[in-house]
Amino acid sequence: MTKTYTPSRPIWCAGCGDFGVLQALVGAMEELNIPPHKRMIVAGIGCSGSLQNNMSCYGYHTLHGRVLPTVTGSKLANPELTVVGVGGDGDGYAIGGGHLVHAFKRNPGITYIVMNNGTYGLTKGQASPTAPTGYQGSVEEDLDPVMLGLSIPGSTFIARAYSGQPAQLLRLTIEALQHTASGGGMAYLEVLSPCVTYNDTYREWRTSVYDVDVEDGYDPTNRAAAFTRMHELREDGRLPLGLIYTGKRPALEALSLNDNFPPPALQDITKPDLSGVCNDALQSFIK
Amino acid sequence: MSDNKQPLQDLNVIVAGQGGDGSLTVINVLADILRGAGLRVYTERDVLSRIKGGITAATLRAYDGERLCISSDIDLFVAFDQAAIAKYAFRLNEKSVVIYDSSNGEISDGHGLPDNVRLIGVPLSRYAVKHFRRDIYKNSISFAVIGRLIGLKDEDMKKSFEKRFGRRGAQALKYNLDALQVGCSLADERGLEIGKGRFEIESAHSEPHMLITGNEAAAFGFAVAGGRLYAGYPITPSTDIMDWLIKWLPKFGGVVKQAEDELSAINMAIGSALTGTRTMTATCGPGIALMQEGIGQLGMAEIGVVIVDAQRSGPSTGMPTKPEQSDINLLCYGGAGDFPRVVLAPGTPEECFFLTIDGCNLAEKYQLPVFMCLDQGLSQNTATIDPLDLSQVVIDRGDRLDADQLAKLDVYKRYNFTESGASNFAPPGTPGGMGLVTGNEHDEFGLVSTDPVNRNNMVAKRAKKMESMKPELPKASTHGVETAEIGFVGIGMCYGVILEAVDLLAEKGVHSQYHQVKTLWPMLDETPAFTQRCPNVFVVEYNATGQLAKLIVAHGGSESNIHNILRYDGIPMQAADIVNDVMKKMNIKEDEVA
Repeated sequence: MTKTYTPSRPIWCAGCGDFGVLQALVGAMEELNIPPHKRMIVAGIGCSGSLQNNMSCYGYHTLHGRVLPTVTGSKLANPELTVVGVGGDGDGYAIGGGHLVHAFKRNPGITYIVMNNGTYGLTKGQASPTAPTGYQGSVEEDLDPVMLGLSIPGSTFIARAYSGQPAQLLRLTIEALQHTASGGGMAYLEVLSPCVTYNDTYREWRTSVYDVDVEDGYDPTNRAAAFTRMHELREDGRLPLGLIYTGKRPALEALSLNDNFPPPALQDITKPDLSGVCNDALQSFIK
Repeated sequence: MSDNKQPLQDLNVIVAGQGGDGSLTVINVLADILRGAGLRVYTERDVLSRIKGGITAATLRAYDGERLCISSDIDLFVAFDQAAIAKYAFRLNEKSVVIYDSSNGEISDGHGLPDNVRLIGVPLSRYAVKHFRRDIYKNSISFAVIGRLIGLKDEDMKKSFEKRFGRRGAQALKYNLDALQVGCSLADERGLEIGKGRFEIESAHSEPHMLITGNEAAAFGFAVAGGRLYAGYPITPSTDIMDWLIKWLPKFGGVVKQAEDELSAINMAIGSALTGTRTMTATCGPGIALMQEGIGQLGMAEIGVVIVDAQRSGPSTGMPTKPEQSDINLLCYGGAGDFPRVVLAPGTPEECFFLTIDGCNLAEKYQLPVFMCLDQGLSQNTATIDPLDLSQVVIDRGDRLDADQLAKLDVYKRYNFTESGASNFAPPGTPGGMGLVTGNEHDEFGLVSTDPVNRNNMVAKRAKKMESMKPELPKASTHGVETAEIGFVGIGMCYGVILEAVDLLAEKGVHSQYHQVKTLWPMLDETPAFTQRCPNVFVVEYNATGQLAKLIVAHGGSESNIHNILRYDGIPMQAADIVNDVMKKMNIKEDEVA
């Protein structure tokens, strides 16, 4: 057995919600028998951006905010990998917010887990896009990424969990990975993951979360109804959890790659097909 | 036009009008016929950054031999709009012939035209509307006049029309052929009868040639090199690369993804390259600026991606359709921190093809960013070249590990310290492996580290690549007389103009040589050495500050031997401009030379 890196111990503060996310992700990967060499874990910048160092995988630490373009490129190049993007709310909704819109629109076969704590922990507590009005003097209305996702017709899987409720978090992580593995495209899972040091919301969130998974008559396949319900719950000061929306649309890679070839990453390119396609292309210039 | 006809050796034609007048179609059909007569062609476009309208031009040079530039001696100027005459009159001389649309009245002189220039007014637009009720047929009418003037045979024109317009349906073909006939009658009325053309132009059997731009050649090179993912954002003048790859890359088993911006494009490219897929993106200055953080990431995290910069006029949005070479500093020095990189500078479409393949090999083997330094002229002008010899293609994937090779190692470290600085690499998905890649400083396993000893070792590891790759980097070519005391250095679209300047100077008895540098970074010793050896080196470049010359001086070049020839007005240089500059600087009088 070839020795490689030894997963390091997390550097998070005791009580950080991200522990729960790491545990759920490792648990879900094991439950679904995804071996370490098939796991490509791509993490953003911020406290959550060190998650890949704490598990067995091929890991990549991106530039700030660029998780989604990176995983899109990885998945198109090698759809045989289980590609998971992880990051925080500053990474995913502020500096990388533009990419989120386009990722929903594209629906690449990746799972994207956002650890939302409403603050910039690593830079000591500035307001993030999901910080409520008033936090650190913020005069802006907070962003609702779930409603943003619902508003984009290409989105196919939107869920929210809470690291204080590990059983549901594990189940939704498994469902997210399964959605992607079955060719459903992008699974977006936001996890409410409190920052105990700069924005300790455990007590507040414990009372304001609301589980749509157990709501009578909630239909996660009805986009318009889901949007309306999210809006109502928001007006009531509640934080909806559960599988909020799931729809069907082929994944980006299935629509983009040429089926007659192995995945781009796995082709033997050392001997170009000189008499075939290379020559066809050359002949196209001979006019 | 005289009756003693000569065989056609060098013909330069400008066709100009309002955007949408069909100037380019005229040039393309003309190029097609002249290629059939065994000549090589080079075409250039002068367009504005708008979809339709404004005065635009297409320019053709047909030459018996290789010339990758337009001459300063314009034989024929065709103007569909009288405003075009004022814009391009400065490029004409007393031997030029002007065919213009006289629908709005005849002109005699003025408009900035040289004295005694021959003017042929033809009511192109009026006849197009009269016969076909549509103005757009004026370019087909004009073609007959142009063809008769230079000596094309009516049947060759007809054949070429059939080839070109046949694809657009029977009706389009019929109208265009009828327009050609109308043009022939107008030509007859002006004394441009069959057989009275300026040149003897016979269809000749010629070896097959490719008609290709630098952008297309770079895209083709990428595909042949095993490039399988391209991510990009449209930006003039790089977009033809994406357009070609959208059409062809899937046939090679690859994929093209248009991103939402350049930040996304470079990071998609990173995501792809991480999986061990050969990956490229293309852009120009503003896009490179946006990609800069990702480029530093390639250097730090040791990921190989090829980045084409089809340079255009800057700074900022600049003049989007005009040529410049003002990103040299950006490519060589841009980015936060110290990291290794390669900048390659092809001068011809053939070099765009082969240097892109070299670039793909270097990017993968040494795991760093490789820039292809092109410019609008090289990127978009069309040249006739000999068919590329695909048997010369070599693929080198570096120290890439498969599962068996990985299993034989005791330990696999993504950032293993090695002799060359480049580590062996097991792509994600390789059984038995795991690895961490990061833009933070890291230890050999890829775990984040700020340990000072490790830091020094890692900086040295990355820097070592710049030395170890040197034997593999493309060397300069020397053209002309190697002992000459007048030398030239220039890249990209300067190539064709400098070569012609060397020939024009030789005709005057002045020897010169051209040191064509192909690797800008890391700069090889050969280029500063050339400026030490040759006492008068003219560094020709399209920017205001002499970025290439300064790069050479920074590497030990002789500042006192270097003279700058700079251009940044958006107009391509001509060989005669360079010759004049050299004669003046060297204080050579025309009558002193043979």
